[in-house]
Amino acid sequence: MNCEVCQLKELEVESFEIREVLRCILHTIVFHRALGLIRPKDIDLELFEITYVQCGEIEVEKKIDEKVDQFISWIEKHPNKKSQICLSFYEVKSKQPSWFTNKIERLYWEQWYINLNVLQPTKAPVGKSHHSKLVMDPGEASEERSSRRTLLEQSLQEVLFQIIKFVNEKKDHVPPINDGVIYCPFEITIPSSSDSAFGMDMFKRILHSGHPSMLG
Amino acid sequence: MDFPENLPSEDVGRLEQIVSHFFPKALHIVLNSRIPSLQSRGRTRERCLSSSSGAGLNNNNVRKSDKWFNLVMGDRPAALEKLHSWHRNILDSMIIDIILVHPTTTIPTHDDDHHHHDVRSAETVIERWVVQYENPLIMSPQSSESVTRYQKVYKKSIIMLRSLYAQTRLLPAYRVSRQLSSSLASSGYDLVYKVSSFSDILSGPVTETMKEFRFAPVDVPPGRLCASVTYRSDLSDFNLDTHITLPPRIITDYVGSPATDPMRFFPSPGKSIEGTSFIGRAGRPPLTGSSAERPHSWTSGFHRPPAQFPTPNQSFSPAHSHQFSPGLHDFHWSRTDGFGGDSHQLSPPFSPSGSPSTPRYISGSNSPRINVRPGTAPVTIPSSATFNRYVSSNFSEPSRNPLPPFSPKSTRRSPSSQDSLPGIALYRSSRSGESPSGLMNQYPAQKLSKDSKYDSGRFSGLLSSSGSPRFGFSRSPSRLSSQDDLDDPDCSCPFDFDDVDESGLQYSQSLDRRKASSSISQSLPIGRKSSQDAAVGVLVHMLKTAPPLRQDSSTYMASMSGVQREGSVSVSVSGTESEFSMARSTSDALEELRNYKQLKDLLLSKSKSGSGATRVH
Repeated sequence: MNCEVCQLKELEVESFEIREVLRCILHTIVFHRALGLIRPKDIDLELFEITYVQCGEIEVEKKIDEKVDQFISWIEKHPNKKSQICLSFYEVKSKQPSWFTNKIERLYWEQWYINLNVLQPTKAPVGKSHHSKLVMDPGEASEERSSRRTLLEQSLQEVLFQIIKFVNEKKDHVPPINDGVIYCPFEITIPSSSDSAFGMDMFKRILHSGHPSMLG
Repeated sequence: MDFPENLPSEDVGRLEQIVSHFFPKALHIVLNSRIPSLQSRGRTRERCLSSSSGAGLNNNNVRKSDKWFNLVMGDRPAALEKLHSWHRNILDSMIIDIILVHPTTTIPTHDDDHHHHDVRSAETVIERWVVQYENPLIMSPQSSESVTRYQKVYKKSIIMLRSLYAQTRLLPAYRVSRQLSSSLASSGYDLVYKVSSFSDILSGPVTETMKEFRFAPVDVPPGRLCASVTYRSDLSDFNLDTHITLPPRIITDYVGSPATDPMRFFPSPGKSIEGTSFIGRAGRPPLTGSSAERPHSWTSGFHRPPAQFPTPNQSFSPAHSHQFSPGLHDFHWSRTDGFGGDSHQLSPPFSPSGSPSTPRYISGSNSPRINVRPGTAPVTIPSSATFNRYVSSNFSEPSRNPLPPFSPKSTRRSPSSQDSLPGIALYRSSRSGESPSGLMNQYPAQKLSKDSKYDSGRFSGLLSSSGSPRFGFSRSPSRLSSQDDLDDPDCSCPFDFDDVDESGLQYSQSLDRRKASSSISQSLPIGRKSSQDAAVGVLVHMLKTAPPLRQDSSTYMASMSGVQREGSVSVSVSGTESEFSMARSTSDALEELRNYKQLKDLLLSKSKSGSGATRVH
């Protein structure tokens, strides 16, 4: 089984939009991977005219909310950064207990990369003095914001379409459904304090993913 | 159909089951998300199930047929069951057409002299879902060799249905169906469906604007399950947004816009005006507190332009332009007071989410379809219990109220809550030293904020009449209407001055109430059910019949100061009944204000002298 990777289209979001956008995307992905008995829940976004579907599991909701909160607080410390959130689905493979390791191995079979570019609310053009902020016509600013909002709504819809397409096209790598398991176990990785650490996390994950070429 | 022979027989049976159950499931998903009549039922059922099952899905409370593809949808409507039984042969394709019924005007021919545009209904296919099981005529040798276990096939078909479910929410038709299902008015739009085995060729111009999305087929040996959707990506041609009316939303914290009258304070729920049936039914202008109609900054999600109705003769409150939303009214103002108009100018000062927080009971409870055009179906009034509870919660915000904060008792449903709203509001305003115009304005605002049953505009009429007699009267009818609300403990009591030194007023109110209620209840046809209607109607009635009291003002004042309060109230009550519709002018209102001021001073002095004030609850 190989690990399928999907890079989602980058979205330009403002800080107050992150929560809704992330929840929408993450829940949509998990909904397509919650193959146990579920009762879907339709959720309307407040900021956009988009309805997405949740799988209805409370643990999933908690997990996603927790990660989104962590991400938002990370973004507050690292503004104006392009960031990536990785949603990975794994299978739990209990490694044979050996003298060295006794831990449970995770076999990642799918990874989704959500690319966000968080904009800051300040609208002053780069290079001008801060006095120029006052010059900006409030009407223009609101027009600009609404057009950006419309663009983001379209982009978000495209991302959701992208998810559906990917989910449709690649089905073979999905592990079989186990009895009693509602959703495929997943983890969400948000950027950590430094880029290098993020890269290290990725490297660690590759090691743990049990890629056939690496582990034989 | 011949399934591969190398498959175990139980697998063959299961594969066939998967295919045969796929069709009704897909049909259920599509219709549930598109047809408003099927939507509400499904959602209700879901709510019941989720509430009963508690956390997580319990296998016991889910029907076996609903567990297919691990997607619990709720009960299938009867229509779907019939369709399921119709689709027997899995080799037949299932084509679901989602058709938008919309009004269209016929172009008058040149021969017609009269420019008569016929509005007819047209049907346009906005979506076409095709689900079919493609069975190759010749089985390829490869498929016969591979042992395709049914579990894999089932898993893939589950994923396919998940994506189909998500896709139904993403396509433009979903928003249309949501708009239609939440809209109460018969806007001329509707979504209907047609299921067939053979597809009619879609007309040329239609297909050009349609996009197609194909779901990846799932191999179910010997064939494969396919699904696709052809949809119109752009539905703006139908002008849905402007035509589909949204249900009236009751604004419980309706307050005037500061732009129109900065001096005014209106913590009044606009919805009090909505759908209230007054005693004099003839000729009341329709009022609506629906935030949907008003393009104010605090409304969210509703962008319908407010409909302008011809304003009644404005004898009072010239500062307010009356805006009435279309529909929800078969009432026409017989009085030319500034009723209702003020409320439309008001903006909620405190509720952070004015409209969203509004309980939408009107949409839920309003079974008759409300036509947006004037003079059509009446609006059912939200239950007094829910309304009053909401209203009372607003009143517990002292910071927003320049008047003294009401005690917790004041928000309870009490007999005195309905009493003398006009008079006491005026009393309060005058005490706070507002300007006369502001006072007038506050009076309606007070009334609105305190009691949903009363209209802001009414107070102008009240003010214009003589003060003291009306003071007593206004209380009585309100008390009368309160009979219907006696069982509602949360009714707000805007004029319950427990914490204010108007104990004298309260005392007189309680006396008035007891005496006047019986007489008024017999005279006014107030039904038990429409308590809020009754309350407002009674108030209007009282206000309108106030003029005769002006002549008896001196006697009324005297009697008020005396012990025989009840008698005076009864007298004035009977007098007011005869003068139901009378025009009021600003000068009348001012005069009444003066009278009220006098009465207030009188009562203050009385209360100070310790005239046996009792706390009224």
